[in-house]
Amino acid sequence: MRLQFLVYFLFLLLFSCQSFKKRSIPSSSLVNINVKKKVLSNGLRVLVIENPNVPIFSYYTFFDVGGRYERKGTTGGTHFLEHMMFKGSKNYPQGVFDTFIESSGGSTNAYTSFDSTVYYENLPSEVVDKVISMEADRLQNLLLIPESVEKERSVIREERKLRYENSPRGKLYLTMMQNVFKKTPYGGSVIGSIADLEALTVENLSSFYKTFYTPDNAIIVIAGDVDASDIFEKVEDSFGSIKPSQGLENYKKRKDHPRNYRLLNKKSKNIKIYGSNTKPIFVMAYNGVPITNREGFVLDILSSILGDGESSYYRKMFVKTKKPFLSSVGTWNYTLKHGGVFYISGELLPGVSLNKFKRKLLRANRNLCNRAITERSLQKTKNQYLVKYFDNISSNDGVAHFIGLRELFFGDYRFYKKELKIYQNMKLDAVKRACHKIINKSHIFLSIWNKHRKRKK
Amino acid sequence: MRYLLLSLVYFVTIKTFSKEVVQQERVQKFKWKNLEVVYLKDNQYPTYNVSIYFADGALSDNRRRTGETSQMFSLLTSGTRRFSQKDILENLEFFGTKYGSNVTHEYSVFSVSGLTKDIVPTMKKVCHLFQDTTFSRRILSREKHLSISKLKSIVNNRGSLATRAFREISLKGTPYEKPVNGKLKGIRKIKRRDLVRKLDYFNNKVLKRIYLSGSKDVLHLKKIFLNDCGWGSEKAKFVRSKKFNKTLRKKPQVTLVVIPQANQAQIRIGRYINPGESNDIEKLKLSSEILGGRGLTSLMMSELRVKRGLIYSGGGNASKQKDYGRVVLSTYTRNEKVIEVLDVLEDLLFKAKTGRLDKIHFERSKKAVIGAYPFKFERTDDFLGRLLFYDHIGKSYSEFFNSREKIKRLSYDSIKPDLKRVFDWDKMEIVILGSGKILKKILKKKFKKVRVISYKNYL
Repeated sequence: MRLQFLVYFLFLLLFSCQSFKKRSIPSSSLVNINVKKKVLSNGLRVLVIENPNVPIFSYYTFFDVGGRYERKGTTGGTHFLEHMMFKGSKNYPQGVFDTFIESSGGSTNAYTSFDSTVYYENLPSEVVDKVISMEADRLQNLLLIPESVEKERSVIREERKLRYENSPRGKLYLTMMQNVFKKTPYGGSVIGSIADLEALTVENLSSFYKTFYTPDNAIIVIAGDVDASDIFEKVEDSFGSIKPSQGLENYKKRKDHPRNYRLLNKKSKNIKIYGSNTKPIFVMAYNGVPITNREGFVLDILSSILGDGESSYYRKMFVKTKKPFLSSVGTWNYTLKHGGVFYISGELLPGVSLNKFKRKLLRANRNLCNRAITERSLQKTKNQYLVKYFDNISSNDGVAHFIGLRELFFGDYRFYKKELKIYQNMKLDAVKRACHKIINKSHIFLSIWNKHRKRKK
Repeated sequence: MRYLLLSLVYFVTIKTFSKEVVQQERVQKFKWKNLEVVYLKDNQYPTYNVSIYFADGALSDNRRRTGETSQMFSLLTSGTRRFSQKDILENLEFFGTKYGSNVTHEYSVFSVSGLTKDIVPTMKKVCHLFQDTTFSRRILSREKHLSISKLKSIVNNRGSLATRAFREISLKGTPYEKPVNGKLKGIRKIKRRDLVRKLDYFNNKVLKRIYLSGSKDVLHLKKIFLNDCGWGSEKAKFVRSKKFNKTLRKKPQVTLVVIPQANQAQIRIGRYINPGESNDIEKLKLSSEILGGRGLTSLMMSELRVKRGLIYSGGGNASKQKDYGRVVLSTYTRNEKVIEVLDVLEDLLFKAKTGRLDKIHFERSKKAVIGAYPFKFERTDDFLGRLLFYDHIGKSYSEFFNSREKIKRLSYDSIKPDLKRVFDWDKMEIVILGSGKILKKILKKKFKKVRVISYKNYL
């Protein structure tokens, strides 16, 4: 998952000179996100951001488990378990969790990626005690009732159709992942193959749950109208006695070994997929870098210069031009814990030849790095990121997610300050170098279209 | 257990929300010449939000050129006599500015946000666009081509296509029937002179209102709006109003909108709400919360997903604009389960109509709406948007700030008439979008008469 919130503290230092009359937040938070952290003896990390403006809070739980830890034959298990986490625990049977949250005026949801499973609630602040209690219960006493499992299997089938089978872009994206990350844990879909989804058993789900849903594999982030010391006390009461995992660290070290993530693509490839769409949709994908790699930040800047906004390079070249080729185009730098993919994607206009467009794109890419990357485009991107940063931390939900992701992926929520320096000091040469490096790599060109041949099943 | 928890929730929400009372005090209303301004002070971050409200929207479109207003607003960045489209986009985006329009049938909003330090050059540029956009023929031709292509691609997004078709079917005969972004036929007919005329109309004839948030620096925009934008004239006072009474159905009408290769069916059920029907926003809100509101605990989700595993997502909403309203229930499922989903929904609506819904659903929804109240104030742009809407429908801010107290006083008996009136199955339009071959047979098991129409009619 690409980090959504990229920080430009250069300008925050400028603004720290202003005197803001806050409603009731201390002025030090202008420059820093004031986070209080505690680690329990069982390894559970708890982070709290106090924000007394409005009597509400957001509660996030990040688990370091995703599709990448699934064994062969159980793909989709992590995602299935995510669904089942809403189906009742010992002290809060099915329906109680949702009813309480929603009838309090709150909302709850979750998502699963290859690298993490994340649960979140947004609620009025009076009910934080109850939420802590419910979360602690589902961390240790999940029910996994067979009848509920079967009903949820049915729900996930419909979700799968929505995301892949009935979505040309979804199919294209899935094929990209399968090919870029072939024979690695990232080479599939988080929702799982159809065969595995049908075959997953209660025992599989229970095994995932017992292995990965442990306090030392979790991070809780609470942002809002709460008191940090009060929260730490309550979390200690509710979670403190839960035992940490046994052997999980060694398991993760084995599964996360770099040899499991070696990318096999050495040559450029062209892949055609049949889909119901009448105009071709394409992806041109390059091997990227993991999220902790310094170059990942440079590639983030590069992808924004090339494909973010109406004045981005590819938009100007292929959409907002005298003879447009595409109705839409964008670029993404998707960084994961153990790998990454840098890709360009768009949809062709009627009458535009796919082969001709591909040749044009390859030709354009030869001069791309010198033409697209200028001081102005670099500064523009930095400005855009700053605005996005403020936008994203202007809610409890946003700031909790932001801080939690950094704690999860970098091991330290304060990493956002290092990000500041990286972006602040980003130089034109570095972006150009990264651009030349990636564009000269082999790539996979994928397209989906109803004029491509249907593959036999 | 559930009753106990609900009681617990009820008691903990009695606590005074003094923090939101402070929110009321943040709202300032004043005039810059004849231009009404609503300002929300916000010093939390060095950013601003500006929303320019226009008291007219797609209802001003020529009936042969649907999408005219939407095109005009979206092409404000297409170039002026001084600056090309590339220059304008480059300039706005250099500052990290977010900008865009939202056109509805009744009103339109053009929004700009960014860093406060850049507000003056940005808003000067925006005013320049409103004053001088030329809608060059070349750019218009290209943008129309792009719009048409995107519209044709909607067949890849079945949910959006179903919503679009449903709008036209359920609002047929009303002024609100055609989609705001136009139909293929209408978009093709839009000419440069139409957009120039439209911009002139919105600049000089239509009432405007400015909604601002940020530090006091944003108030420097006064001179820019009055001089650079040239707004503030007393002549700009037109407010669109169109009341239309549609004859309500006596039996549901079922339409199958056919698309190729579909393994799921999109389902939309709903109708047009006449002016004068259900004028009480809070009762309507509570009614739709019960049936199709948040998360997994609404009746729709609990019956269709939780109990039966028939759907992945679904929801319902009954709401009003200034002069009309709509009720829509929407979901999707696999083809062979369509009848089962429709049976469940029919049963739910029957219970709603006859006052036989379990009172616990009312209690749950009431608490949900009350509990969600503080979230309206968390984000300034969201807060501002709600004030804009209340101004648009002609209701006072005190109604907005007191909405929670009003909901607290509502009883199940007091909303029964709204549930009965608004969610009456017999008055509904039912639209199923999916595979013709399979669904024709399936739907005939429940309905004697099913109209079958190609999706292309709704592009």
